[in-house]
Amino acid sequence: MSASMKAGSENIVLRSLEQIGNCGLFLLRMLAAVPQSMRFYRETVRQLWFVGAMSLIIIMVCGLFVGMVLGLQLYDVLSIFGGTSATGTVVAIAIYRELGPVVTALLFAGRAGTSVTAEIGLMRATDQIAAMEMMAVDPIAYVAVPRFLAGMIAMPLLSCVFCALGIFGGHLVGVTWLGIDNGTFWSNMTATVEVVKDVINGVVWKSLVFGIVVSLIAVFQGYTTPPTSEGVAYATTRTVVASSIAILALDFVLTAFLM
Amino acid sequence: MTDSVSAKPDDRALVRVRGLTTVLNGKKVFDALDMDIPRGKITAIMGPSGTGKTTLLKHITGQMRGQSGEVCVDGENVARLSREKLFELRERIGYLFQNSALLTDFDVFENVAFPLRQHTELPEVLIRNIVLTKLQAVGLRGATGLMPSELSGGMARRVALARAIVFDPMLILYDEPFVGLDPIALNQVLKLIRTLNQTLGITSVLVAHELEAIKQVADHIYLIANGKVVAQGDPKTIADDGSPWTRQFFGGEADGPVPFQYPAGDYAASLGFPGSGA
Amino acid sequence: MSQRPSYAVGTGLFIVLGFAALGYLATQTTSVVNQSRGPSYIVEAHFANIGQLKERAPVKVAGVRIGQVQSIVLDPTRETADVKLAIDQRYDKIPDNSVATIFTSGLLGDQYIGVQYGNSKKTLADGGTIALTRPAQQLEEMLGKFFGAGGVADNLSGSYRVRARFTNIGALSVGAPVKMAGVAIGSVQSVQADPVKLDAEVTLSIDKRYSQIPDDSAAAVFTSGLIGTQYVAIQPGGSPDMLKDGDEMVLTQSALQIEDLIGKFLVSGSSADKKGAEPDNAGKH
Repeated sequence: MSASMKAGSENIVLRSLEQIGNCGLFLLRMLAAVPQSMRFYRETVRQLWFVGAMSLIIIMVCGLFVGMVLGLQLYDVLSIFGGTSATGTVVAIAIYRELGPVVTALLFAGRAGTSVTAEIGLMRATDQIAAMEMMAVDPIAYVAVPRFLAGMIAMPLLSCVFCALGIFGGHLVGVTWLGIDNGTFWSNMTATVEVVKDVINGVVWKSLVFGIVVSLIAVFQGYTTPPTSEGVAYATTRTVVASSIAILALDFVLTAFLM
Repeated sequence: MTDSVSAKPDDRALVRVRGLTTVLNGKKVFDALDMDIPRGKITAIMGPSGTGKTTLLKHITGQMRGQSGEVCVDGENVARLSREKLFELRERIGYLFQNSALLTDFDVFENVAFPLRQHTELPEVLIRNIVLTKLQAVGLRGATGLMPSELSGGMARRVALARAIVFDPMLILYDEPFVGLDPIALNQVLKLIRTLNQTLGITSVLVAHELEAIKQVADHIYLIANGKVVAQGDPKTIADDGSPWTRQFFGGEADGPVPFQYPAGDYAASLGFPGSGA
Repeated sequence: MSQRPSYAVGTGLFIVLGFAALGYLATQTTSVVNQSRGPSYIVEAHFANIGQLKERAPVKVAGVRIGQVQSIVLDPTRETADVKLAIDQRYDKIPDNSVATIFTSGLLGDQYIGVQYGNSKKTLADGGTIALTRPAQQLEEMLGKFFGAGGVADNLSGSYRVRARFTNIGALSVGAPVKMAGVAIGSVQSVQADPVKLDAEVTLSIDKRYSQIPDDSAAAVFTSGLIGTQYVAIQPGGSPDMLKDGDEMVLTQSALQIEDLIGKFLVSGSSADKKGAEPDNAGKH
């Protein structure tokens, strides 16, 4: 481990490229194993429970607070221009186009991504992966693909929940506390927010891509980590770092594309 | 599955290793290794740590491939098999991992049922019967609901053994089955290995260090060192063949062909004594 | 496995919740409910200027949505914009001499087309044309006369100070630009309330290069853009004497309450249409 870390500091660019290349190859291996893993659909459902449903609480709480903070901040700024009635609109657009998918993906990487990496890493360290190989069960199809698919499916759903709670939080602060008219809040929002541009492109597509990327990184890091406790700890850290960078970089690219 | 053992009665060796040469990370693990593992017998593979005993098991299961030479299991060259054929072969091989490798997500019952669920469409009743039979064989029928984290080392190994024999394999590979077991658990595992061999005729390969335990069960012992078989024979006579390897290994001497000192420079020179000559 | 059903149920609940959230976002917080789904017919209208009108903008009668803008193309021969309106089949009793006008919902809102009924007995049919149209009110043109643009003057050659008194400075703050003909010539140095005269005394710091300002020039507090910051505009007078350091400008014009000013022209969407529906009031737009 220390040897590879040393090598990493020596040529970080080459090593990063190698990682990205291996990651891409791993994705191809997983895609090739998707038909085979359809037999393990139950495992996918189970993983959907772990990465999706178990992340729900943190996503909901964070969504609520992000919406509340946005409501508070925007009310403050918009009151300068006498435009507090636009609070609902701006909260909705900020959450749909940017904060919803990005914050959800970052939380998802921290909550579900790390646990997937650690779980797979430990499965490798305790020979469970090798045991599956020996039981003639393809571990890519049984371990990697269900977690990957579950992450891919869970992310957009979690994003939607996050956004809904964010709107609710904005409404709570804007209407209930600061006294924006309830009808104005909603009518301005519904007049401006568009289904395709904001909800479908902003939330669903973006978070689907984020889900794919975060799950891929998490599974890949777990699967390729050296089977030691040090290796697992290191891989978990790398999942968060690599996911965060990938999310924010892709966010820019996707925003440019989907605008 | 027992009939597969007698499928080729003329071929006495179930596993045949010929001229196997493997280089790992620049180190030669096997150097033209030859080995025959006879059908229906218990064969022990011994040797100093780091001589590649576990690596040899991985060659037999096709998880690793050598640079040259061949490993044949039941007449098929493992390295040439397609992935599907390899998986078919593996269904006929049981493998007991050193740390049991139970799936932590599932309880004991599901761990043993796992291979059945993956490879068969058997009705639940039948699966249940098979699993309970195997668990009964290892004496853990009462532990079906426990999770792997609740098992002791010996129990976990017995569950893993039940899982390894769930398909009634023709061959079981035991990777260090006695490590970390107290004498009671060790004897239980020993008894199981012997029972499985005698009642089901399962060919068994044991990788272990516990000489006393091996002497009780093994029919044949291979001692490998430096990538070669340095001694072989039945447990009673192997220690007397007179080679320095057997003397050091079975006699328990600290120094011998396997040096006590990791290769190093001159001792006095590294301590910096002047005039040591070097 | 005993856990399996509970996983499946929990996961199912999670998926349902996720889709419910998506459905909520898509229907309750967006304009999907406004988008017409039923059968519609197309009528054309030609506008001299469509302003910021976009495709899918609503078409309203008396403030109620009856359809949307389907396409906007420029007629290359006539310098007018051909706007196709998709109107719900339900609303098929629109007189053929109705008037189509481009309105703005609110001050900053999107533009839409308001239709005021005429008195003809004939109704518009599919492919028909609304002959009478009124183009978009160019708010910017209307207000642009008041508001200039530009940055703060560079203060290279030193400056001199003049004072000006305003009864109301609006939201004018220290550092705001002082402009003449839209070009920044200085900045507001201080703003103080006069405790005796009960008005605001503003000290303007003006670049020395602009020393040829007549002393009867007027100072006014304006707003750049609709929601921008306020600044002081100087409208030169005709006196032969020039302003000097320490002078006070006599003619001042306090901050206009833009909201008051514009409120007469523009009212929020629905009320505008209610008025617009009455032919007498339509002319005010």
